[in-house]
Amino acid sequence: MSIEKDIVSRAIKGDGEAFAQLYEEHFDRIYRYVYLKVGNQTEAEDLTQEIFVKVLEAIGSYRWRNLPFKSWLFRIAHNRVIDYFRKQGKVEKMALEDDVTLVSDSNPASTAERELEIEELIKKVEKLTPAQREVISLRFGSELSTMEVAKTLGKSTGTVKVLQYNATVALRKMFSGGK
Amino acid sequence: MARRLESILDECLERMLGGESIEACLNAYPEQTSELEPLLRTSHVFIRKSMAIQPAPEFKARVYSRLQAMFYAKEEKAERRARIPIWRRGWALATTAILGFLLIGGGTIAASAHALPDEPLYPVKLTGEQVRLILTFSDVGEAKLHIQFAERRADEMLEMASQGKNGKISMLTEQITNHLDKAYMMVGIQIAGEGESRVLAPAPPSSSEAETYSEGKVAGELETLLRQSHAKSLATLRNALDKAPEELKPVLQQAIEGIGEDYDETISIVGNGSSQ
Repeated sequence: MSIEKDIVSRAIKGDGEAFAQLYEEHFDRIYRYVYLKVGNQTEAEDLTQEIFVKVLEAIGSYRWRNLPFKSWLFRIAHNRVIDYFRKQGKVEKMALEDDVTLVSDSNPASTAERELEIEELIKKVEKLTPAQREVISLRFGSELSTMEVAKTLGKSTGTVKVLQYNATVALRKMFSGGK
Repeated sequence: MARRLESILDECLERMLGGESIEACLNAYPEQTSELEPLLRTSHVFIRKSMAIQPAPEFKARVYSRLQAMFYAKEEKAERRARIPIWRRGWALATTAILGFLLIGGGTIAASAHALPDEPLYPVKLTGEQVRLILTFSDVGEAKLHIQFAERRADEMLEMASQGKNGKISMLTEQITNHLDKAYMMVGIQIAGEGESRVLAPAPPSSSEAETYSEGKVAGELETLLRQSHAKSLATLRNALDKAPEELKPVLQQAIEGIGEDYDETISIVGNGSSQ
């Protein structure tokens, strides 16, 4: 049994320590994914919290059959983000906030620079199609494998590769054009 | 046959995420270097920048505390429950169900069987369904009930459309979706619908959207919604059918036929309304 499988199996049986390990392993990735999707720190925090509450509630019913744990986890996040956009009556579009607070840094100039970088990044992501944005957020933001992204989104790996390629080409144009 | 660039890019990204340098991958594909290099550098910049997005430590700690509290509450509940002998637990549930039955009245429950969403007995019908779910202990049993309830919602949707009451239809499509999602979660099977924006099931309209419809949103939009919901619900069921345990397959097959017919007829009624 792999280490991950062992931890997940223990978490399913209600082992708090195992759940804490999963939390530590995946929290930042889920947050990053949500942030890249909604482009807003406050919303990203609320949604990430809701996603983990849902994970805690549902983990007892998770089965290994067909779906890797990471894909199951990100599927919950994916569905929650879709619900968020639906309930807000929004098309999937970023709501950039002015005061983006990201990684804390002792150097205020460096923090401000990083915040600006992130803001620009989010603006570029916003220009991708929703499907491209989804794939890029999962693949680059959360470092999921192509297979995991495919399982999360219910798409074939071939489709994910094409979306990833097209998104990278589009980003390349944006980066080189300074847009 | 030369490998497609998207596959090469994907392989290189995988290697980069695993810690290899861009150059290492370019060396492996010298013929594609001119096309590949800018894409890999773009990806590298994107990954580096996105890594700067980190949750605030105090937020992370706060969520963890909340989850911990939930976890212990859940554990305590389970321990309390474990202290009650199984035979008493069964009786406790049965007693609750019987009390509920007596309070509401057996006749009322029976009468609610055909209640529609705009009728006073409809909440009784839904409560009865919840009681059945509570009293079902196996995942497959619960999945069967969710599928059955999805079919009921589809029947109600058709009946409401037949009576010209379109206001509740979008709410019913949402409930169909919810039941199918839950059935899916219960049996732990995966949906692999190509090109779907939502994985488990269709994205139904929110309750506020439902109200908008009831306030006279054009029937054409409702028809579109129904067509989308129809396609996705059936895709959900068909994908589930491929992967479901044998005992669940007849139930799913029946649901595919029943729900499909209900959607078809509802669309036809709503469509006629919109063309008039």
